[in-house]
Amino acid sequence: MATDSSTHSSSDRSLIQRFDAWLSDDMSPRRLVGVYAVLSLYFAFLLLPVGYMLLVTFTSQEFLYSPQLIPSLGDLTVENYLTVLQTGAFQGYFVNSVVIAVSTTTLTLVVGTLAAYSLSRFEFPGRQSILLSFLATQMLPLVLILIPFFLLMFSLNLIDSYLGIVIAHSVGGIPLGTWLLKGYFDDIPASLDEAAKMDGCSRLDILWRIIVPLSLPGIAVAGFYTFILSWNDYLLVSILSQTAATRTLPFGLQLFQSQNTVAWELLLTAATITIVPVVVLFAFVQSYIVEGLASGGMKGM
Amino acid sequence: MATQDISSSPLSPYVAEFKRFVSDTWLGYAMVLPAVIMLGAIIVYPTLRGIQLAFFEVSLLNPDQMTFVGLSNFGQMLSDATFKSALWHTVLLTAVAVSLQYLLGLGLALALKEKVPGAGFFRSASMITWVLPGIVMVIIFRFLVQPDFGPANIVLAKLGLETTYWFGRPGVAFPLIVVMHVWRNVPFYAIALMAAMKSIPETQYEAARLDGAGPLQAFRYITLPQISYVSMIMIVLHVIFTFNNFDIVYLSTGGGPLGNTEVMSTYIYKQAFEQYALGYGASMALVMLIIMMAFTVVYVRLEARD
Repeated sequence: MATDSSTHSSSDRSLIQRFDAWLSDDMSPRRLVGVYAVLSLYFAFLLLPVGYMLLVTFTSQEFLYSPQLIPSLGDLTVENYLTVLQTGAFQGYFVNSVVIAVSTTTLTLVVGTLAAYSLSRFEFPGRQSILLSFLATQMLPLVLILIPFFLLMFSLNLIDSYLGIVIAHSVGGIPLGTWLLKGYFDDIPASLDEAAKMDGCSRLDILWRIIVPLSLPGIAVAGFYTFILSWNDYLLVSILSQTAATRTLPFGLQLFQSQNTVAWELLLTAATITIVPVVVLFAFVQSYIVEGLASGGMKGM
Repeated sequence: MATQDISSSPLSPYVAEFKRFVSDTWLGYAMVLPAVIMLGAIIVYPTLRGIQLAFFEVSLLNPDQMTFVGLSNFGQMLSDATFKSALWHTVLLTAVAVSLQYLLGLGLALALKEKVPGAGFFRSASMITWVLPGIVMVIIFRFLVQPDFGPANIVLAKLGLETTYWFGRPGVAFPLIVVMHVWRNVPFYAIALMAAMKSIPETQYEAARLDGAGPLQAFRYITLPQISYVSMIMIVLHVIFTFNNFDIVYLSTGGGPLGNTEVMSTYIYKQAFEQYALGYGASMALVMLIIMMAFTVVYVRLEARD
């Protein structure tokens, strides 16, 4: 961006002026260059691997397996995407992922909103210990839970079912979701509740008509966290899913690798498709997340 | 719902207030109940069962037959060389990865906080690594170090250096695991720390400048103390995440080469699900839990004292 505006400077004065207006008063050119240099280093480290994966998925198999870094125009193709998207099993995994992640998010938000409202507005014995134990669940080693958890799901007949995976993922999302939502609910003045009560609203009315509409950013963030937790999960699905009927994308990516050979062009393409929904959703909620990290998310603790 | 009964009864305000308190308490419990039941059934109960298993000998092939063995599972650990190295790797990984994440995150936060054109783009783009599924990150890194056609090896070959599948090289595999942990989490630290820095009033920096403080002093005496709370949360959370992390190691090296990257969670997983030693696996998981609890208590106490 910086180079862009300087090269066009002669032809377009307003660009420079706009650029100047962006800068704060004490930003010297030396400092500016320093900041961009630091940011470039970080972003080379963070984004280059992802960007390169994206590039490779649009090239031919010959290029991928050649000792070359930069593809020529002739190497570019969408062949990989056509192959992956037309693979029946991959479509099935995609549908499974969507169904499970959406159900998990819905269940977690409903249960989490109720719990968060209760913990934010009601005084009852045991409230503090419930809050702390929600937090403590985040500390448990998953491997400790895994063994008895598998036996439990087995005896409940929830192995290889959507319901089993949705419950497992929701339980993973509920503690953090509840904490986040409680932080947002605490920010809404209790006087609003009182006023609504005077007007004859029940507690559930208040929650649905006042609290929820006022905390939509918090609900978006909690929903996003839960969605990616479910969408990205590998371990629980690998244990609960026994057949292709319930397999989700992260676990299903092994479709493109066998014992000894990996179809890298297809594996990388499938991986790219897997991250598209997450990145798109993130684009919608990112400003709330940044805000929430500053205030809401931390406030409860 | 129960509140409707109150208005119809001609009772004194105290009784009405009491009734409202009871109904509110009841409603409060009712609303938190679904969450508590789900967590209780899926997390608390299995955890208690897991702790119980630690004192038994149980096989995954026949989980109903449990033999009480007291502390002998813990005794077994003392003579288990793989357990000791897995514990050491876990502690080392956690210490190195979290320190690097914090320092690099702090650096990125300082750069992101500057008001430069494009800062908004940088801020949102930086979180990408953090929202990727772990398996996708592992696939990317495994591709980067493929022999012959992996980009990292292409570059090394051009420079005339050695090329190999680096996840299979003892001495390199472990640092690569650290790099993946850092790569994944640095943006999260950066955004949280940046947000904390932005909430510091600008007037404090101006006052410091008037008093003749340089940028380093301002950072040390204004910025650092006021981001210490967020720093503490970030560090505690990530120590716990890193210590318990399973999929990064399991999916990239599986603990190899030659046990070079074996961590507690992968070793426990193997003992329980591949060697069928549920009891022994559970006892090691209990050790992990105790270490994490001790760390959290000590760290939070130390921070709270300042």
